[in-house]
Amino acid sequence: MSAGTPVLSVRDMSKSFGAIHAVQGVSFDVMPGEILGLIGPNGSGKSTLFNCILGQLTPNSGRVEVNGQSVSGRRACDLNRLGVGRTFQQLSVFPQMSVLDNIILAGQEHRGTMLGRLFGAPDAGLTADADQMIRFFRLDHLRDTMAGALSYGQQKLVDAAMAFMAGPSLVLLDEPAGGVNLTMLANLKERLVAYNREHGTSFVVIEHNMEFVMSLCTRIIVLAEGRIIAEGAPDEIRSNQTVIDAYLGG
Amino acid sequence: MSQFLQVLLSGLSTGSIYALAAIGFTLVWQAAQTVNFAQGEFVMLPAFFVLIGIHWLHMPLWLALIFGLIVAVIVLGLLFKKLIVEPMLPNGGLPLIIATMALSILLKEGTKQFYGAEAQPYPSLFPQTTLHMDGAVVSVQDLLNLVVSLTIVVALTLFLNRTRTGRCMQATAQNPAVAEILGVNTKRMVLYTFLINAALAALASFLISPVYLAKFSNGETLGLVAFIAAIVGGFNQIRGALAGGLLIGVLDNLTATYVTTEYRAALPLVLLIVIILWRPQGLLGTSEGRKV
Repeated sequence: MSAGTPVLSVRDMSKSFGAIHAVQGVSFDVMPGEILGLIGPNGSGKSTLFNCILGQLTPNSGRVEVNGQSVSGRRACDLNRLGVGRTFQQLSVFPQMSVLDNIILAGQEHRGTMLGRLFGAPDAGLTADADQMIRFFRLDHLRDTMAGALSYGQQKLVDAAMAFMAGPSLVLLDEPAGGVNLTMLANLKERLVAYNREHGTSFVVIEHNMEFVMSLCTRIIVLAEGRIIAEGAPDEIRSNQTVIDAYLGG
Repeated sequence: MSQFLQVLLSGLSTGSIYALAAIGFTLVWQAAQTVNFAQGEFVMLPAFFVLIGIHWLHMPLWLALIFGLIVAVIVLGLLFKKLIVEPMLPNGGLPLIIATMALSILLKEGTKQFYGAEAQPYPSLFPQTTLHMDGAVVSVQDLLNLVVSLTIVVALTLFLNRTRTGRCMQATAQNPAVAEILGVNTKRMVLYTFLINAALAALASFLISPVYLAKFSNGETLGLVAFIAAIVGGFNQIRGALAGGLLIGVLDNLTATYVTTEYRAALPLVLLIVIILWRPQGLLGTSEGRKV
C-alpha cells in the first residue's frame, strides 16, 4: 500500500429495498488519518451505506476496497481482521460480561490459532492492552463492572474502546454522540481526536449532532435520498444552500 | 432417613441427566432463538447408534459409545443445523419450531420402523452394585450417573467462561451482529453450539438408556421433562437448566415414594404452571426484552 492509497474506497455503491432506493451510486475515498463526516436527514441511507461497506447487507451494485484490497462480498468478521472496526447506533456491548472482558473480546480474534482459542490463556494475553485502553477512555473505575449495568454514555465509551482494541486502520462510527450527555460527549470527542493523532487511524462518522461532527471532522459528505448532494470542508458545508434545503425541506 | 437419602440420590441422578437435555434447550435458544421440540428424540436416538455399533458393526462397548457420540454429533448437530435450521431460520422462529416438531415425529417413527417397537436392552456403563452408606443402600449406577453428569456440566461451564472460544460463543448469543463486527466468526460459533447440544444429548442418552432401555418412544417423556426443566430453571441460563433438571428429578422421586405414583407424571406440569404464574423467567433465569 502506498502513502496515497485510500484506507477505504467505495465505488458506485447502490442498495434498494423493493422500490425504495436507499443508496444510489455513492462513491468516495477515505485517506489515512482522515476524519470524514457522513451526514444527512433521517432515511438518507447513511447506516445502509455502512452496512453495505461492512458486508452486513449485500449491495445491488458497487465495490469496496480497504487499503487497496477488494473486500466486496467479504463478511464483517473478515473486514475486522483487515483493520476495519465499527460502532453501532444502538448500544453494542455484551451486557453479561465485564467491561474488561468486553474489551478483551474485541481484540482477541486477531491472535492465535484455533487450538490457542480452545486451550490458550482465556485473556489471549490482552489484559495489559485492555487495561491501557480502559485508562485511555477513562473507564478505570468501571473495569470489573458488568457492561449492562453502565449508563448509556459509559456504554458508548466502552463501545468506542472495543472498536479500537484490534488496532484498526479505519473505524466507522455510527452516531457516537446519540443520547450522550454533554460532559460525556466532550470526553468522547477529546478521546477520539487523541486516538486519531496518536495512531493515525481514519474515522468515518455518521452523526446528527452538527456541532460535534463539524468540530471533529476534516471533511464532510452530505447524503440525501441515497445520493451525495455535497462534499467539502465543514465551513463549506455549513453555508451550502443545497444542504440547508435538504435539511429544512426547502 | 436412609430411605430419604436413597430417594434423594436417585432423584438427583435422574435429574442430572434431565439437566443435560435441558441445557441443550438453553444452548439452542441462545444460538438460534428457537425451541427444538425434537430434543427428546435427540436423547432417544444416540442409544440406537450405540446398539448399531455393537450388534451390526460388532464393536466393543467403549468403541460403540465413541461411534454413537460421533454419529450423534454429525447427524443431530451438523446435519440438523445445515438441513433444517439454516434453511428455516430466515423464515422466522415459528416455522423452525414446527419443523422440529415434524423432525421429532420423523425420528421417532423412523426408529420404530428401523429398529422395532420393543424396548431394546442397553448395556450398563457402570457396575450394577450397591454401596451401604450410613444405613442407606446407594446404587453405584445412580452415584456415577450423577458424578458424570455434573462433571459434564462443570466442564461445559468452564469451557464457556474460561476459553476464548467459549467467550465468543457467549458474545454471539448476546449480540451476534456486534460479535461479527469484532471479528468473531459467528456462523462457526453457532455451529459449535449445535454440535455441543448434540454431544450433550448423546451423553444423556448413554446414561439414561440403561435405566429406561432403548425405546423409540423414550423421547416423548424425556423431551417434555427436559423442556419443563429448562423453563422452571430459566430458559436462558445453563445453571437454570441444571437447577430445573435436578429439582424435577428429586421432586419426581420424592412424590412417587412418599405421596403417590399415580400422579408423578403430572408433577412436572404442575410445577411448570406454578413457575409460569409466579416467576415466568424461571428460578434462575433473567427477563428478556424484545424489540417489535
